[in-house]
Amino acid sequence: MDLKISALEYSRGVRNGDISAEDFAAATLERISGVDGTLHAFLSINSDAVDQAREVDRRVASGKRVGACCGMPVSIKDNICVRDGRTTCASRMLEDFVAPYDATVVSRLREEDTIFIGKTNLDEFAMGLTTEFSAFGPSRNPWNAEFVPGGSSGGSAVSVRAFECVASLGSDTGGSVRNPASFCSVVGYKPTYGLVSRFGLVSYANSIEQIGPLTRTVSDAAFMLDIISGQDANDDTTVDNEDAGYLQDIDAGIEGRKVGIVREMVSEDTDPAVAAATWEAVARLESLGAVCEGVSLDMVKYSVAAYYTITSAEAGSNLARYDNLRYGYEFPTDGYEFNAYISKARQRFGPEVIRRMILGGFVPSAGHAGRYFLKALKVKSRLTREVDEAFQKYDLLVAPTAPILPFKFGEKIDDPVSMFLVDINTVTANLTGKPAVSVPFAVSGGLPIGMQLMADSMKDRQLLQAARALEQTVRLPEVPA
Amino acid sequence: MVTQDEIRLVAGMMKIDIQDYDEYVDKVESMIGYFDILDSAGVDDEDVAVREIPVSGLREDRHVAPDQKLIQRLNHYKDAYVRAPKMS
Repeated sequence: MDLKISALEYSRGVRNGDISAEDFAAATLERISGVDGTLHAFLSINSDAVDQAREVDRRVASGKRVGACCGMPVSIKDNICVRDGRTTCASRMLEDFVAPYDATVVSRLREEDTIFIGKTNLDEFAMGLTTEFSAFGPSRNPWNAEFVPGGSSGGSAVSVRAFECVASLGSDTGGSVRNPASFCSVVGYKPTYGLVSRFGLVSYANSIEQIGPLTRTVSDAAFMLDIISGQDANDDTTVDNEDAGYLQDIDAGIEGRKVGIVREMVSEDTDPAVAAATWEAVARLESLGAVCEGVSLDMVKYSVAAYYTITSAEAGSNLARYDNLRYGYEFPTDGYEFNAYISKARQRFGPEVIRRMILGGFVPSAGHAGRYFLKALKVKSRLTREVDEAFQKYDLLVAPTAPILPFKFGEKIDDPVSMFLVDINTVTANLTGKPAVSVPFAVSGGLPIGMQLMADSMKDRQLLQAARALEQTVRLPEVPA
Repeated sequence: MVTQDEIRLVAGMMKIDIQDYDEYVDKVESMIGYFDILDSAGVDDEDVAVREIPVSGLREDRHVAPDQKLIQRLNHYKDAYVRAPKMS
């Protein structure tokens, strides 16, 4: 059984009888049991997957309606609710939490006969970019297990790259889909803010986070986006999906498109191999008929500080619900005063979550809000204006997804600011609400480099067409794991 | 620059009982220190942009009963109420 096929190949194969969904699901579970002891992409596995796939085969054979996913094994980041399954957010606080409902993205995939093969690892509550902050241990990069896979959707990226599923869903607050996609060499897509419902996504920073697909091809990302996008009554921030049909005209190319190379995202701090790959990507975009030139976005240098200020404030508010009374673990209340009980129960939070909660209490507090939170919101506004102006002139912006190559475990864990700055090229899309995609582009010293393309709001279709064009210029070595 | 006492105060307000303050204070201090870069952004005259959604664009405000007794999933409850320790 070839587990390396794309989602579209899988769907076609099941429909025309070349692939048995049951055999594919069984082979996928076998693959997981073979490699996940080392890679640790998954926090839980769906033990009913083969039975569910058999039912899909039966319906295909009897000519009944079968959804577009045809029993395709898809992994889901463990901060997205799948009914009656554990949703831990990689936190000891939610270790035993069983979701009572499906997230909207999950119910939409379920309607298309997706099989949820398992829930994937992440940094606790999606706060981090290496999975080192998972309470259940980190995931490992399939290209080299000594290196981080990126994060926070690290488990999702690993599961796709290591052929433990066909596609995955992650969440992207400041690059949490695109960063691991870059580090593991998969496609990671962050949609326009509001295009995909966040209902059922455990909240971290509501004003900027989005659910997005991680896939092996750009066409697969478009296929997934077609299913999960669109307005949802359960999420009032969702927008009308006027630009639907992302897979249509995916091969339209980028002839005549204007592309801005963001100067602040390819700076002297960029790893030389990453910078070289970026200029090579620019050359290839030009060879495809695009017109590329440099563009400056002055606010980018303040974007990381603004991002962490805003997200910490929102996280501080969102995490207040974990008082061990509404959500939590078995811990008797007897003998405790109310506040002392909550403080004690919260000792189950990991160190990064505690740091973000403290930050989240500090930056919007009386006496400090004007200096930090309000200023961060103003930077966000100015950055949005700069990016909107750039899109008056350019169809796309290009930059490396991350300024550095994947790094070894422990290398940055004690230096939070150095860790923050890995996000410098990704947070702009979140702060401005724009869609962005990481496309696998190069491998240097055995480690992947992803290239980021960004477009104006609701130009997701054009963005995917450009990503597809760039993808077709790339030939990468096979992943060793 | 933020002081360690301020960090302890905020941790208390956030109901976080930290055993080893030194482990947290240095890193939180360096994080907040980095945020000082915002002082040089020159955005004092910038307006904060907000996205407005008219009330007519919001979903209907009505109660949708869950299809199961969710309160029974809690560790501490009595009848239809969450049980909590007494406040001092």
